[in-house]
Amino acid sequence: MSDPLIQYLAIPLAKIVVILGVLLFIVAYLTLAERKVLAYMQVRIGPNRVGPRGLFQPIADVFKLFAKEDLVPANAEKFVFMLAPLLIFVPSFLVWAVIPFGEAFTIGGLTIEPFMADINIAVLFVLGVSSIGVYGIILGGWSSNNKFSLMGGLRSAAQMVSYEVPLGFAVVSVLLMAGSLSLVSIVEAQRAAGVWFVVPGILGFAIYFVCGVAETNRNPFDLPEAESELVGGFHTEYSGMKFAFFFLAEYMNMLLVSSLAVVLFFGGWLRPFPNVAALSFLDVIPPFVWYLAKVMAFIFVYIWFRGTFPRYRFDQLMAVGWKWLLPLSLANVGLVALGVLLLGS
Amino acid sequence: MTMREFFGRLFPIDLFKGLRVTGGYFFRRKETVQYPEKRLEPTDRFRGMFGYDSERCIDCALCAKACPIDIIHLVDKVEVDPTTKKKKKTITRYDIDVKRCMFCGLCEEACPTEPRSIWMTSKTYEGAVYERNEGLYFTKDRLFTWEGVKPFPGVIAPRDGQLPHDPMGKKAPDETTETPQAGESEDAA
Amino acid sequence: MSEQFPSLFDVEEMELSFGPQHPATHGVLRVQLKLDGEKILDAKPIIGYLHRGTEKLFETMAFPQCIPHTDRMDYLAAATNNQGFCVAMERLLGITIPPRAAYIRMILAELQRLASHLVWLATHAIDIGAITPFFYTFRERDAILDLFEEYCGARLTLNTIKIGGVPFDLPDGWVDRCSALVEGFPAHIDEYEELLTNNRIWKKRTIGIGVVSPEDAIEWGLTGPPLRGSGVEWDIRKVFPYDRYDEVDFVVPTGVNGDTYDRYLVRMEEMRQSCRIIRQCLDRLPDGPHMARAPKVLRAREGMIYGSVEAPKGELGYFIVTTEKSTQPYRCHVRPPSFINLQVLPEMVRGHLVADLVAVIGTLDIVLGEIDR
Repeated sequence: MSDPLIQYLAIPLAKIVVILGVLLFIVAYLTLAERKVLAYMQVRIGPNRVGPRGLFQPIADVFKLFAKEDLVPANAEKFVFMLAPLLIFVPSFLVWAVIPFGEAFTIGGLTIEPFMADINIAVLFVLGVSSIGVYGIILGGWSSNNKFSLMGGLRSAAQMVSYEVPLGFAVVSVLLMAGSLSLVSIVEAQRAAGVWFVVPGILGFAIYFVCGVAETNRNPFDLPEAESELVGGFHTEYSGMKFAFFFLAEYMNMLLVSSLAVVLFFGGWLRPFPNVAALSFLDVIPPFVWYLAKVMAFIFVYIWFRGTFPRYRFDQLMAVGWKWLLPLSLANVGLVALGVLLLGS
Repeated sequence: MTMREFFGRLFPIDLFKGLRVTGGYFFRRKETVQYPEKRLEPTDRFRGMFGYDSERCIDCALCAKACPIDIIHLVDKVEVDPTTKKKKKTITRYDIDVKRCMFCGLCEEACPTEPRSIWMTSKTYEGAVYERNEGLYFTKDRLFTWEGVKPFPGVIAPRDGQLPHDPMGKKAPDETTETPQAGESEDAA
Repeated sequence: MSEQFPSLFDVEEMELSFGPQHPATHGVLRVQLKLDGEKILDAKPIIGYLHRGTEKLFETMAFPQCIPHTDRMDYLAAATNNQGFCVAMERLLGITIPPRAAYIRMILAELQRLASHLVWLATHAIDIGAITPFFYTFRERDAILDLFEEYCGARLTLNTIKIGGVPFDLPDGWVDRCSALVEGFPAHIDEYEELLTNNRIWKKRTIGIGVVSPEDAIEWGLTGPPLRGSGVEWDIRKVFPYDRYDEVDFVVPTGVNGDTYDRYLVRMEEMRQSCRIIRQCLDRLPDGPHMARAPKVLRAREGMIYGSVEAPKGELGYFIVTTEKSTQPYRCHVRPPSFINLQVLPEMVRGHLVADLVAVIGTLDIVLGEIDR
């Protein structure tokens, strides 16, 4: 049935609503998940008073942020001050247009592909659009008219920019194995190869994940926003909904890094060893659930890192990025290229 | 740097050990006590809310002298009984300004009566009020009735017969007289 | 008229107040920093935000009444504060305490050392970014505070070591519970060490930070783990023993380089040695009275005395001056270890980055209640 109205208007609109809705829901409950998982590692239970087992806590948090006074510092650049949270929030939503969540399936004669668009330069799109978020940080720090916010914003921007280079190279190693920039094709390539790309590209995955943690300003790389440090970070002067945007954007970025890790290295929605017939009993689990489970596992690892490690000092952080990760990622690209050349596929 | 050191730096086994510790705790029993549904019972010697018994009190004012911050206000009057010509001291005011109290216990150590007339071993700590000048100034009657104080579950108010080392009324009568007095040695009970 | 525009490469000093309200300063400490970008050129600690006039209050209190006030100076280690005052007064008045009292005092002091070092570990780790050791250490600390509560009725401001001994004998079962705690404690210390000691991020943040040479340490008058971390083996419990510390066996740990990592290792080892001391005291607890025969109203002779104990933070000393037949000290001056240790902060921090300032404040283990009194 390719009635153009349905195919080009109704279905995409429905997809947009569903994807945005589910994303916002997941991000809101991610805040609760972080608090509870962190608490469980710290011999205590997290929020458990608001709603059964604390399940309404994100709703209470949203109400609280709505109700807070929206302070704008006296000499701040008002327009830029308001623009900065948007500059960081909108790209992190925009990027989800190309992330695939599952296989195409049919309902009532309609074939629905559970992603917004499958463009053939999806990886480039993701890397490019998510880099726009750095503008939001710099402008947010600058427009606050506070030298510590500026310092924090610049530090954070420097960190994000310098860790994008090894991240890009780690992604390049996947591209060498998959042969395409389209994310759906990368997953299909893993199905064709019969094994997730993490098995041959384990070094690439390790580099990717460490860079991803640094990109999202999370522990152990969270000096720019740590409370016990001098500089409060680029979001010091923000309150109320604008702060909520920064906050949400951080969690969206966490989800994005996890999703990309799953799609690039862990087979997206494929089950382990998709071509081995002996494991076909696992097919009863729908692809989307596989995808979700893997993403949640990565989020758990994010929170696990936060609960365990001290944080790097900024100069040590930059040293790790430039002196260790960059050469390693280049070496990894070389190794993977050699492997692809020798093994053929 | 040797090859071994190089691979040691590359593969962070120390970080994995740390992850194992916190990961293990994820599955263990949690230590949280859900207050106010459950409360931990303070120990027997816990210094909490005051209890006062004006019947036993002999008006020696040792407690008022012992207090480092002078929060015990003791006013008495001497009456001469016309028939027997005997002097009788009665206490008109025995007030404790609990909001200034630092719960050091020197007043309870100084009390010479047996069992004590002023004691703090009442296992009660929930006396918070909204207005502290009225709510936390305890007169003689209020120290006896414990009006406004929320006793620990099971603890009886002094009006109902709370004894110094037995705020819940659990011990046998001969056991309650063994209050440990500071300054004297106590043989093993 | 020509204006001199500053060149891009001029050093521009920025003055910053690492203010009294800050999550990382362990109290109301203010550090006035002179920064060049992120490098610290000079640091000046400014104290006094918690001054309560304790030493003046001592002059108006009778001797037993002074003891609750000593609790509140280093509020994380009340037992050693009490013990310092009592040791000084007992030397002045010539009172010898019975052996059981001495052993009970040692047990309380070492338990207090464990509790204080647990708080140090929690706050130091959280300043450097590791947020979970805080919860694990406070779980152990809660067990120790439960023991204190069972013994004397209070958890934090104990008021439990009096001139002449201790006011109460141990309750039933206390010795067993204390033994159980001490038996299980080294396993917990191993757990904290697994999280931190070999962690490369922890080592990067603490090795080489805040170095003090042994000669400088002695010159500045440092005591406690900052002195021992620099390699000087000086512990009041060994050098001027009080309360029967000469009858128990323990090792005084020292560091090698005098940096933050060495002080961390010294304190972890001190915790293990404290467990050892407590175990020996519990095994050898003698019978007898727990308080010396002393008059209810203490009157002093004329004199002055300086008595000190090894508090968890360093040498805690009391200088007491009394006049003939007085019930109150004429003057009581306290030598707080954190106050003297804080003086070396500018030296330790010069040339380091701002992020190291929090690590150094944490490693000195200061308590503002003691510094300001």
